[in-house]
Amino acid sequence: MAKVDVRKLNVWFKDKQVLKDVGMEIRENTVTAVMGPSGCGKTTLIRAINRMNDIIEDSHTTGEILIDGENIYNRSVSVYELRRKVGMVFQKPNPFPKSIHENIAFGIKIHKIAIGRKLEEIVEKSLREAALWDEVKDRLHDSAFSLSGGQQQRLCIARALAVEPEIILMDEPCSALDPAATAKIEGLMKGLSEKYTVIIVTHNLQQAARVSDFTAFMYLGKLEEYGNTRSLFENPKSEVTETYITGRFG
Amino acid sequence: MSRLLDSGLEQLTTMLLKMGETAEKSISESVEGFMQGRDATKKVHELSEVLLTMTVSVEDKAFELIVKYQPVASDLRIINSYMKIAYDLERYGRYAWDISFTHKKLADSQKCVYSWDLMEKMSGKALEMVHISIKSLRDQNAELAKTLAKTENEVDEIYFKHLDHLSKAIPRTKCVVCNLLVARYLERIADHATYMGEAIVYIATGEKLTLR
Repeated sequence: MAKVDVRKLNVWFKDKQVLKDVGMEIRENTVTAVMGPSGCGKTTLIRAINRMNDIIEDSHTTGEILIDGENIYNRSVSVYELRRKVGMVFQKPNPFPKSIHENIAFGIKIHKIAIGRKLEEIVEKSLREAALWDEVKDRLHDSAFSLSGGQQQRLCIARALAVEPEIILMDEPCSALDPAATAKIEGLMKGLSEKYTVIIVTHNLQQAARVSDFTAFMYLGKLEEYGNTRSLFENPKSEVTETYITGRFG
Repeated sequence: MSRLLDSGLEQLTTMLLKMGETAEKSISESVEGFMQGRDATKKVHELSEVLLTMTVSVEDKAFELIVKYQPVASDLRIINSYMKIAYDLERYGRYAWDISFTHKKLADSQKCVYSWDLMEKMSGKALEMVHISIKSLRDQNAELAKTLAKTENEVDEIYFKHLDHLSKAIPRTKCVVCNLLVARYLERIADHATYMGEAIVYIATGEKLTLR
């Protein structure tokens, strides 16, 4: 069974239909890259997976997204719980204006996951999983803003991991980072997929090719092609995909 | 709008087609020399040396394009296949040289008429395959490339018939050994023509076919 099963998903913002009948099955413990030209609906697609589009005024969604077989758009589903289960990392690192430690501990406290020693263990574990622990263990109470851009982004990943999610959505997580920081985050993604299901939106084709197991190519709100990353980059089935990934687009 | 990669791919294609012409010339020269009982070593040696140098240039250019542009999809298939084809063309040159050298060494570049009808048939088919492999490369014609499979089977059939014939030859003269070796080189040339065909199909369709 797919971890995430998107079925006939349509999303409108006011009168504009942004996603059109999108359907895809995302396997557990894989990295799936979603790519496509600006405005193709890739960010809207991943934001639909933790119902972030709900907060946009005049947005309207039809279709289903099943996570572990349950439609997340069912009335009975708690959006609060859903967003704990499906974490998100944004394009620009957005740490809270608090200490490194507080950035991680905040979600754990809010979700009442742990207190005391257990909380400290989760803070350390999350920072380790985000490959940041060694760099910050002696300065946990410094401001998060004292970290470099790449470290801040890994802090945001650690913050997402701290609330024990199952799926991690990443919306162009490296677009504001230099090559060295990007390489660290990319290495991290591969490791994270052993435990989590990672879905990443990227404009960087080479990044999609490097980090993902499966790649989705979106065009004009539709899922144009979806498949094994190697096949898609070696021998795409769709002419539009071929045109886009070889840089002949537009 | 043309991409930066396009001019590099054009250069690579031009280099490979030039290699194709040279390779075809080297094989024609050596096979005709053998069939006509004429020493072709000098010319064939020159051509095979040129092919060696060209292979290195094609590989260098292909690496440059990979490093600079990280090609994908059809671009990647072209570059990957061109590198393989460059190797096949280099082998054409090598076998052309082997034919001429063996012919000179064992038969003093005279006509070796033993089992001649089979030699004629086999060399004709090998030359035809070389021509088709290079034409299908130039025209990027996957359908034409696929026809190589049938001819390669025919070459194999003649080759084994020929082997059988030569192994029973008495006396085992240098000429018989020369024919045996030349038949082997022709069979290898046919194999490389087929490998080229596979690479051309892959460029055009992305399909990894085995034509052998």
